[in-house]
Amino acid sequence: MTAATPLAIDARDVRKRFGGVEALAGIELAVPAGMVYALLGPNGAGKTTLIRSLVGLVKVDAGELHVLGARMPRREVLRSIGYMTQAPALYGDLSAEENVRFFARVQGGGDVEWALRFVDLWERRGSLTATLSGGMRTRLSLACTLVHRPSLLLLDEPTVGVDPQLRAQMWDGLREMAAGGTTIFVSSHVMDEAERADRLGLIRAGRLLAEGTVPELLARAGVDRLEDAFLSLTETDR
Amino acid sequence: MNPRRTLAITGRLLAQFRHDHRTLAILFVTPLVILGLFALLLRTDASDPRIGLVVDGTDDPLAEAIGMAFLESERVDAVAVPSAAAADRDLRAGELDGHVTIPTADDEGVLRPTIVLEGTEQRDLALVPAALQEATMRALAEAAPSLPPGAPAPSLPRVEPAMEVLYGAEDLDQLDLFGGPFIGLVVFFLVYVVTSVSFLRERSQGTLERLMASPLRRAEIIVGYMLGFTAVALVQAVLVIGFSLFVLDVYNAGSAWLILAIVVILALAAVNLGIFLSTFARNEFQAVQFIPLVIVPQVLLSGLLVPVESEPEWLQVVSNALPLTYAVEGLREVMLRGADLASEVVQLDIAVLVAFAVVAVIAGVATLRREVA
Repeated sequence: MTAATPLAIDARDVRKRFGGVEALAGIELAVPAGMVYALLGPNGAGKTTLIRSLVGLVKVDAGELHVLGARMPRREVLRSIGYMTQAPALYGDLSAEENVRFFARVQGGGDVEWALRFVDLWERRGSLTATLSGGMRTRLSLACTLVHRPSLLLLDEPTVGVDPQLRAQMWDGLREMAAGGTTIFVSSHVMDEAERADRLGLIRAGRLLAEGTVPELLARAGVDRLEDAFLSLTETDR
Repeated sequence: MNPRRTLAITGRLLAQFRHDHRTLAILFVTPLVILGLFALLLRTDASDPRIGLVVDGTDDPLAEAIGMAFLESERVDAVAVPSAAAADRDLRAGELDGHVTIPTADDEGVLRPTIVLEGTEQRDLALVPAALQEATMRALAEAAPSLPPGAPAPSLPRVEPAMEVLYGAEDLDQLDLFGGPFIGLVVFFLVYVVTSVSFLRERSQGTLERLMASPLRRAEIIVGYMLGFTAVALVQAVLVIGFSLFVLDVYNAGSAWLILAIVVILALAAVNLGIFLSTFARNEFQAVQFIPLVIVPQVLLSGLLVPVESEPEWLQVVSNALPLTYAVEGLREVMLRGADLASEVVQLDIAVLVAFAVVAVIAGVATLRREVA
């Protein structure tokens, strides 16, 4: 990445409180376009709050959020974003294809067949969504997220419940999209998933504790496994 | 049966209520409100029907006596009117609920009073003939005060009243009188419930969050919903009205199209109210709890069961704020009185229902927030 690469996500001192809980405590984040970035952190670290604030679902108390060059919240930018919620948000009484088609129409168009093939559900396109397994629903949710070929994908724990083989297949596809210029921002608390990212951010208690490539983080913590690096790097802050 | 396990269920249930004050409020407060309303409606003395009395047979002592007794009747608020024509004019103007004309006996010695009623008030159809009957009995009793005991009863003069109605037909039954308003109630109730629960599912299954993170405008979501449910409500209204008019043979003096128009506008109001109120519920359970709050007061206060005019004045204010009140009035005007779009009452009812639908849709858009926090 060169300095000339525009930023897909640019967060400056973003803060958000829910009652007495500080969900985002001054997040600074810069994700260049075309990068696969993983936000790694335990439950309740602020990952979902950050992603939701990127699409305007959470109104931040302070700080600036720029997404694809526009200061958020801004409705026009949402056209270029694909947001996948943590729990699959789908219409159970529509078929798989009808779900994807609906979200394509809402987003102003998309390639339904490509999206369903991407998640390996083209053969099951006629099935009622309520009858699909948990992993299939997660994949269908991903298909609904990327059907309009957004330039920024925000995926909140996208591969929960997906078996390892399909997970690998999905990551191949996501990597391909990234190679085509799509920025992919993934939250996760699964280490092997985080290792697939170009760059990692470690978040805890609403703060970005460390950032870098996997080797950089391992080197900084002086350990061999990402899990240990995470524990060590978050420990120092405690 | 293990008592500890059983009590674990009981204890958990009661513990859950501690965190759900709304359910407790609905459980404990709603029945008091509903019963209170019932008491207000049923205990409030409904004003007696105002009946004009015309005594044509001024030279007939019996006619005079019946007239006097009728004027003193406690069942009706009777007033003397100079002529049948004047009484008829007052009836059409809505100043009287009916009039009674007592003529002289005819050639066969039979006295034939006529009762003319407005016709849409079930109560009057029974009350006024009863009052006249009572007056007749009193007049007859006073005319023959001193019969020696044991003497054969003299043949009494025959009195045979006849009744006519201005609107509808004399043989209107309860279904004819309540059918129209019930069409409105059934459609309103079902459309409201289906809309509010289905809009809530959008929220609880997470798809609303997804829609909010898309380029959709809030108004596009609300109006899209409105159009979809109104299409379904239109089919439902056609079925319900067709079934009522052609299978159940409910009396209708007006245009079936006008009935359809009123019902569809009412359904539109119900759709928008359902969307609006569902934004205040966090789950289906809470949305269902709104039903008694939205539906029951409307059933009681819309004029469906008890005329709005006979409610205490402060309660009439509430009645006049409920959409079903206008649908009930409009449907009765059309179906029983044959009113058309030229009728000011129908115009007002439709205008208020449209206004209600518009306000509810604006309120729905305003309360549907993009950011959840």
